[in-house]
Amino acid sequence: MGKRDKLEIMRDILKVIKENHGHIKMTPLLRKSNLSSKRFADYKEELLQKELIQEIEEKKRGKQILITTKGMEFLEKYRAIVNFVNEFDL
Amino acid sequence: MVVVENVLFPNTFGMELIYSFVIIVCSLLVYFSTKKMYEVSKYPGIRYFRMSFLFFAITYFFKSFISFLFLVFDIHEIIEFSALFFGVLTLFFFMYASTMAIFYLLYSVVWKNFKEKKFTIPLIHILVLIISAWSILVNEVRILLGFQVFIFLFIAVYNYLSLKKSKGTKKPGQLHAIYLFLFLFWMLNLADLLISGFDPILEILISMASIGLFLIILYKVVKNVGSS
Repeated sequence: MGKRDKLEIMRDILKVIKENHGHIKMTPLLRKSNLSSKRFADYKEELLQKELIQEIEEKKRGKQILITTKGMEFLEKYRAIVNFVNEFDL
Repeated sequence: MVVVENVLFPNTFGMELIYSFVIIVCSLLVYFSTKKMYEVSKYPGIRYFRMSFLFFAITYFFKSFISFLFLVFDIHEIIEFSALFFGVLTLFFFMYASTMAIFYLLYSVVWKNFKEKKFTIPLIHILVLIISAWSILVNEVRILLGFQVFIFLFIAVYNYLSLKKSKGTKKPGQLHAIYLFLFLFWMLNLADLLISGFDPILEILISMASIGLFLIILYKVVKNVGSS
């Protein structure tokens, strides 16, 4: 799968979190992302590394995935990033 | 006095300064205007593209500095130039930066097809540093020119093969033509500076064409970055 698709998957994961008031549990996120467990784990790791999401442990709700400010910026700039990548064949 | 006159009045050096200045500004604008986009996405292709223009800015800075030293020390041949200590140093950084600029620009298009390891890019830097030093040590700038042509041909053939492999789903676009011309004019620039000085009119034409290409790229960048 090409990198452009990768950007799209990243966008989709972030969008799911954003639409869930900015935080979501791991299981529903995995389900809504339409990815295999292995690929989801890879993307989660990449999003964490890029500081687009954050993982926190809450006493009441358990493990939660949060979208960061940077993640919100990514969503805002997604269209421009994709256009730029396409324009320069990056 | 000669220096002041040459800077103030239109001649090869004056033209060189203006030309380099425009390209440095274009390159830095490309580099800084894509900063946010890269910070947010951390997309490798954007990083390579940005690095290319950062190296282009450094290259043109050293290129104009070499011309300045030619003027100050009344040097006419690159061999005389390499006898000076900071001449050698400037030439070395110029060769290194220019090769890296070409490499990053071309690599930004094909990186997706490479299985890049963590050490690939540092290794390229080391290789380019060695070749630049070797070129200077043996006093043969054609080694560097040959190496840049090799990088270009290798990536061009690689890109052509991957386009062919995609069975027509991807086609070479306007961008490939821009990069091809950018490389050709860059080679002419290098040959003019390192091998033999061209006719001033030809130099101006090469400079104008290069500026035109950088402006086209800047326009394309600004158009996309602006939309964000």
